[in-house]
Amino acid sequence: MTSKMLRPIILNVVTWTLVLMISFPLFWMIVTSLKPQTELFRIPPTWLPETVTFEHYWRLLTETPFLRFFRNSVVLATSTTVFVVALGTLGAYSLVRFRFRGRETMAMLVLFTYLLPSVVLIIPLYLMMVWLGISNTLFSLILAHTTFALPYALWLLRSFMEGIPDDLENAALVDGASRLGAFKDVILPQLLPGIISTALFTFILSWNEYLYALVLVNSESVAPLTTGVMTMLISAFNIEWSLLMAASVMMSVPLIIVFAFLQSYLTSGFGAGGVKG
Amino acid sequence: MTTIATDPPRNGPSPLERSYARLGVLLIAPTIVVFSAVIVYPLLAAIYLSVFSIYTPTLEGEFVGADNYVKMLTGGVFWSSLWTTLIWTVGTLSLQIIFGVGLALLLHQNIWFRSLARSLVLFPYFLSTVVAVLVWRWLFNDLYGALNHGMMQAGIIDMPLDWLGSMPNAMIGVILVGAWKYFPFVVIAVLARLQTIPENLYEAARIDGAGPVARFIDVTLPQLKSVLTVIILLRAIWDFKEFDLIFLLTGGGPVTSTQTLSLLVYQEAFGLNRMGQAAAYSVGMMLVMLVFMILYIRRTGKES
Amino acid sequence: MANVSFTNVRKSFGEFTALENLDLEIHDGEFVALLGPSGCGKSTTLRMLAGLEFPTSGEISIGGRVVNDLAPGKRDIAMVFQSYALYPHMTVGENIAYPLKKRGMKKPERDEAVRRAAELLQLEPLLHRKPKQLSGGQQQRVALGRALVREPRVFLLDEPLSNLDAKLRSYMRAELIELHRRLGKTMVYVTHDQLEAMTMADRIAVMYGGRVQQFDTPDAVYNRPANRFVAGFIGTPPMNQIEGTVQGASFVIGDHHQAITRANFAPSLLDGAAVLGVRPEFVGIHDSGDGLPATVRLAENTGHETIVTLELTDKTRIMSRVEAGRKLRVGQPVALRFDPAGIHLFEATENGLRLNLDTPVAAAQPLRTA
Repeated sequence: MTSKMLRPIILNVVTWTLVLMISFPLFWMIVTSLKPQTELFRIPPTWLPETVTFEHYWRLLTETPFLRFFRNSVVLATSTTVFVVALGTLGAYSLVRFRFRGRETMAMLVLFTYLLPSVVLIIPLYLMMVWLGISNTLFSLILAHTTFALPYALWLLRSFMEGIPDDLENAALVDGASRLGAFKDVILPQLLPGIISTALFTFILSWNEYLYALVLVNSESVAPLTTGVMTMLISAFNIEWSLLMAASVMMSVPLIIVFAFLQSYLTSGFGAGGVKG
Repeated sequence: MTTIATDPPRNGPSPLERSYARLGVLLIAPTIVVFSAVIVYPLLAAIYLSVFSIYTPTLEGEFVGADNYVKMLTGGVFWSSLWTTLIWTVGTLSLQIIFGVGLALLLHQNIWFRSLARSLVLFPYFLSTVVAVLVWRWLFNDLYGALNHGMMQAGIIDMPLDWLGSMPNAMIGVILVGAWKYFPFVVIAVLARLQTIPENLYEAARIDGAGPVARFIDVTLPQLKSVLTVIILLRAIWDFKEFDLIFLLTGGGPVTSTQTLSLLVYQEAFGLNRMGQAAAYSVGMMLVMLVFMILYIRRTGKES
Repeated sequence: MANVSFTNVRKSFGEFTALENLDLEIHDGEFVALLGPSGCGKSTTLRMLAGLEFPTSGEISIGGRVVNDLAPGKRDIAMVFQSYALYPHMTVGENIAYPLKKRGMKKPERDEAVRRAAELLQLEPLLHRKPKQLSGGQQQRVALGRALVREPRVFLLDEPLSNLDAKLRSYMRAELIELHRRLGKTMVYVTHDQLEAMTMADRIAVMYGGRVQQFDTPDAVYNRPANRFVAGFIGTPPMNQIEGTVQGASFVIGDHHQAITRANFAPSLLDGAAVLGVRPEFVGIHDSGDGLPATVRLAENTGHETIVTLELTDKTRIMSRVEAGRKLRVGQPVALRFDPAGIHLFEATENGLRLNLDTPVAAAQPLRTA
């Protein structure tokens, strides 16, 4: 074989080795969730399950509050996404297509908040929720999530908005549309891919969030998946690994769906808003 | 309505211009409200709280002036946490960049099933930190963990290692998981940039006799420089303030050897119930980060 | 009535003044070109007329009514953008129907109006396509259709032809002239291409540095430019501008004395430094005899004429146009004689005024008839 033919093969082998190493934890997560309890604690561990069982999934769904956590997460992430995308779209439109005093300071402020440590914000946030009387409710989480997701969304949407040519809106204005009419008829349809990107991003951000849930909510009925799963299955004496892995797989289901079908939306969001600032 | 030549010339914004400006402000008003209420306020509140001594469960406290800050500067735990944070940040950031750029370069080529490879590489970033931590804790498990057994089978070690329970293993473990979770961000950003480098630059270099390494140094690297600077700054800021990952992996342990500033703030507020002191630490942390933030803003300001 | 006026309009962006002392009166049904290099303020002027930009001071009127406070949609105008700005997610038919929809026209009437516009511009087979499926020329016609369908009082066109290839451009130029003739509507046309302005417009507003340098018919702008900028901007190759001194009845260039008739020039022309302007077609090249000495640098035979680049003794370069078959060698010394009918004198300042006595015509010039 000539070195010319060898190069692509080496390239592929190296790349795929790395890729498999990177995805090994995920693979292991799935494998562990399918092993019966007895096989789980075998030393040395088996790389592939000798027997495949769904008992952990069944137990998770029927004997634990998992489904409640799942429902909470769905409500939380969806509501957050709706708020954030709605506010963000209007805000991005304002920042890009309008001129008013203080606009640049606004933009700077957004950037600034984007970089703040959430651990700094939770203390006063916690106090505020207590004061408002909504501590330990799902609504307080929705509010909290909106606060940290909004800067990201605004940043992303702003860059998508900047990609829409000015003259489109101008043409609509000359054609007799009001500003909001032009927004609805012309800008929104063009912004749709950007909105989808941002919505997906926000949903995942909210779905995965842990710290705010940890601090603001401590009752099981309101907990989302992240805190719910952690408290449910980890006690001082025993860590239920099989259930945890099954829970992990199930928690990642929305992510897998998005990745399988809508990946280009996710990554285009990165490209557009990504790193240009 | 016709104008007469004797009318004074108009000056200042017309009603139309002003109504547009009003609409603009209206559209961004809800966002501002959210920001003010839940970011500006907490920020100011943190500074306010830091001059009190507050018992977290009851929220009762008393004014102590600069006491908390004195304790912070002289106490030592702030500085050791800062040091730990720096080790963590530099460690995980380096790995993120190396693997990020490396994988981006590889994925830029025509690999078999390239989109599948891409998906698998990007997945860790979008995974919940909770899930990532659970999986890795299972992998790190000293008795049953696949990592130990894989390494023993490969002959790298003889005895299983206690990953998260001892130093320096715990820090290494944390850095490793951090790198795994966040390097895809670098991959996506670098890949996007790579895809915009015109092919003819490489062709010209090839004609001039440059081999692959030389082409990387002379063509790719200069093009990546600006993106990389921004990525490094961004990731440095985000890694510096990371909480979830380290908290869930080690809780700051063993003892406080992986306690970064974020964890310190949390521990002080909810573990030791000293909310005022925690607020002071968070102010200190933000001042340190201010340096990074100014750098980032200057950098992106320069580009735009 | 659809006359357009700009009265003392000024536009500044912070410290920077983009437009100053803008006073223009455009008559009903006139085709006016705003011509100038990039950055001269012509697009800003058009956008202010459209309502997409706001004047810092001054008034803009359409049909005698001040429109400063009117939204673009209420000014009864239509605009064709340089990028066409077609709505990408709508079909051609929907694009053209959009302004009518905004006006509240009912579907049957709308469809009829769209059909008529499409017929006029030969767009019928394309009505169901999306803009990205069309060629540049087709997109441009859709943009025109969208503008036509509203039957506005004034048409605004912002360099509509600049994205087309040369052949299509000259075809569309003719189409637009024909359209103007048929509709008789006021058209304000922005361009940096003087050929477009010269062939299409009834009057041209030559703009530079935020000011109107001259607002006149193409003939006046060509033969009676108001200042050095207009003289140098209009015409390809541009008018030659030669520095020298006025001494009595001569214009002295180096050692050469060019006779001039003082009576033809304004009394403000004094002895001293001045600039002589002469178009290439008025520069005669003679092998020998009296004349301004020069050396041939380049002779380009275009097929129907020869364009000659010449160098004077002080290294100044000037151009001449002579008949096609003329044989000239590079380096050949020649004598140049200027046709007195083509001699202009300008003040020696940077944008010196033209001092010939047949001053540029005032705004009351009758329109060019078809």
